[in-house]
Amino acid sequence: MAGLRLDDLGKDYGTVTAVDGVTLDLPDGGVTALLGPSGCGKTTLLRMIAGLEAPSRGRLLIDGQDITDMPAEARRFGMVFQSFALFPHLTVADNVAYALMIAGMPKAQRRTRAEELLSLVQLPGYGGRRIAQLSGGQRQRVAIARALAQEPLVFLLDEPMSALDAKLREEMQVELRLLQQRLGITTVVVTHDQREAMTMADRIVVMQSGRVEQVGTPQEIYHQPASAFVAGFIGKANMLDGRAAAGAIALEGGTLAPVTAAPFIDGAPVTVACRPERLSLAPAGADDRAPNRLTGQVAFVRDVGQVREIHVQIGPHALTAELPAADRTAYAIGDAVAVAFPADALHVYPAETAAKAA
Amino acid sequence: MSAPADTAPADTAIADTAGFAGSAAATARPAHIGLPPAALAAIGAMLGLLAVVPFALVVVISLGQNVDGAAWHWGLTLENYMRFFVGIGWPEEISTLYAQKLYYSVHYAVLGSVLAVALAFPFAYLITRRSRRAQTAWLVVLLASVSLSEVFVVMGWDILLSNRSGLPMVFRETGLTQLLKDLGVFPTLRDWGLANPRDVRFKPSEIATLLAVTYVVWPYAVILLYPPLSRVDNAMIEAARTMGATHLTVIRTVVIPAVRLPLVGATLLLFVYVLGVYVAISVFAAPARQTLALSIYDAVRGSTLNAPFGAAQAVVLLSVAGLFLALSAWIGKRAEAKA
Repeated sequence: MAGLRLDDLGKDYGTVTAVDGVTLDLPDGGVTALLGPSGCGKTTLLRMIAGLEAPSRGRLLIDGQDITDMPAEARRFGMVFQSFALFPHLTVADNVAYALMIAGMPKAQRRTRAEELLSLVQLPGYGGRRIAQLSGGQRQRVAIARALAQEPLVFLLDEPMSALDAKLREEMQVELRLLQQRLGITTVVVTHDQREAMTMADRIVVMQSGRVEQVGTPQEIYHQPASAFVAGFIGKANMLDGRAAAGAIALEGGTLAPVTAAPFIDGAPVTVACRPERLSLAPAGADDRAPNRLTGQVAFVRDVGQVREIHVQIGPHALTAELPAADRTAYAIGDAVAVAFPADALHVYPAETAAKAA
Repeated sequence: MSAPADTAPADTAIADTAGFAGSAAATARPAHIGLPPAALAAIGAMLGLLAVVPFALVVVISLGQNVDGAAWHWGLTLENYMRFFVGIGWPEEISTLYAQKLYYSVHYAVLGSVLAVALAFPFAYLITRRSRRAQTAWLVVLLASVSLSEVFVVMGWDILLSNRSGLPMVFRETGLTQLLKDLGVFPTLRDWGLANPRDVRFKPSEIATLLAVTYVVWPYAVILLYPPLSRVDNAMIEAARTMGATHLTVIRTVVIPAVRLPLVGATLLLFVYVLGVYVAISVFAAPARQTLALSIYDAVRGSTLNAPFGAAQAVVLLSVAGLFLALSAWIGKRAEAKA
C-alpha cells in the first residue's frame, strides 16, 4: 500500500501532446477516477503510472521514491485491462497465479493462493475451467483476481466495465468498490462514464485535452464544477450565454445574480451553468419581477417516472428543469411559466471555455 | 452482416496455418458455397486429372522395369524399392547409398525448417510490435525477397562463399586466415569441414548447405508467422509485464504458447519445402551428402536415366513427408486432448 505522486507528468507523441504536465497526489488507500471524454489523455496517464508508456517529462514517485524509469515488471502494480487480456492458453487458476509463477512460488502454494483469490472475487471452484468457458462478468472477476495476486502496491483499472452490459456494470462497480474498501489498496480507475466514476471513486480527476480540469470529491465535482466543461460533462447542465453586468449576468429575458459576484469586467461574454434539478417552476404571475426569475414557455414535457423533465424556452435559451415525481403541478406545452434559479446553483464561466467544451 | 464478413478471412487464415498441425481446419470454413452438382463434379474431375493422375503414374512407374535408353515397361515389381533400401546386390551385399540420401534429405529439411522458424520468430514478433506503416514496409521487403528465385539466391551465396573471390579470399587477404592458424583454431575448422590445410573453405560444406537452405525458406517462415503473431493481443503482453514478467519471460510464457500451432504448422510446411530443394543442395553439399531430390532428378532426367527407380525414390520421399505430417497431426491432437 502506498501513496503515489505525479509531478508534472507529461507525454508527447511527435508534435501531439497527449498528456500535458499533470501534477497529482493519489492518497494511500484511496480510489481516484481519471474521468474524461475519449482522447483526453486519461488512459495514457494510467499507462504511464503502470510503466507501459515512458513519460516525455515529469516524475512519478511512490512513497517519495522516484520510479519514473522503473520498468512495468519491477513496479508490482496490478492492472486490469479493458479487454481483460486473460491468457487463453492457461486455465483460470493458472491465469490468476501467473504473477506468482513468475515470482517463483512453488506450485502447491500457488494453487492454494489462486483458490483464495477466486473466492475473493466470488468464483470459488472455477480454477480448472478454460477462459473460453467463462461469461464476460466472470472474465472480469478473473482479471481482477489475477491483478491482485501479487498483492500490488497500486491497483490500476483501465475502463474495467466497458466490456460488460449495463446491468452487470452497475453491480460490478459496487462490488469492486466494496472489494477495494476491504483491501484498502491505492486504486486508480480510468473511465469515461461519470456514474461509474462517482460510484467507485472518492476522488475524481476530470481531464480534457490532456489537462486536468478539476480534482475533487464526486460531490464537489458535481456541485461546484470548476469549468463549463466540467459542468457539462458531469451530469446535465443548462448553459446560458450572457454578459457580465455589475457582478450579475445579463441575459436576453432577464438578469441572474449568483451568490458571489462574478469576477468579470462588465460586458464580458460569460456562460451561466445550472443543474436541471435545481430549477423550480411556477405558473407565470405576480412574482415575476422577483430576483433570479425568468419567464418563458413550456416547449416539451418528458415524464420518465422518478422525475419529470420540463423543457422551457426563454427567448433564445432552451432550458430543462427536472421536477421530483411528487410535484404533480400540471404543465402543458405553450404554458407561460416562471423559472426560479437559486443563487447558489448558478456557476459563471468565461464564454471561451464553454465554446471549447462544446 | 459486415462484421462476420470482415472477420471470416482472418479466421480462415488461422485455420490454414494451424491445419498442418491437425487442427480442424475444415470446421472453420463456411459449408455452403452453393455450386450446382455438375460444376462440383467438373471441378472434382479436373482436380483428379491434375493431381491424382500424375501421382498415380509415378506410383505405377515405380513398380515398372527400366529399359536402358530412357524407357520403361509396365510391371509389378518391388525391385526398385529393394534397390533403394538394401541395394541392387542384395542379399550378397548391402548398399545403403540411397537410404543415406534419404537421411540427408530429412536431415537438411529438419534442421533447415527448424532453424528458419527459430530465426524468423523473433523477427516476425518484432515486426508485429511496430507501427502499421513500419510493418507494411518490412512485409514489402520480405515479399520482394520471396520473389527472388532459389537460383538467384544460391548464385549470390555461391559467389560469396567461393574460394577464389568470396569470403575465403577476404580472409586470406586480410590476414584473418593466418590469425586463425596462429590461434590454433584451424584444426577445429577442418573438423567442421570449413577449411583445407592451407585456407578456409566454405563450400562444399554442411554449414553452407544449411545456411543456404535456411536462407531460402526464412522469408516464408516470417510470412507464415506474421498473421498469427500480429493477432497476439498487445494487452496480453502488457498484462504479463505488469505481473512481473520480463520481455523474454513474456515471449516464453505468453507469446509462444499463443502461437504454438502456427509455429508447428510453419515448421512442417517448410520441412516439406526443403525436402524438395534442389539448387542449394547441388551447389553447397558434398556429393556424399546430397539428397534424394538430386538423385531423383538424375534418374528421371539426368545422368543415371532410370525412370522407375527415380519414381520409387520419389514415392519414398513423399511417404516420408506424409509420415512426418501424420505424426505431427497425431501429436497435435494428443496435446489438444490433454489441454
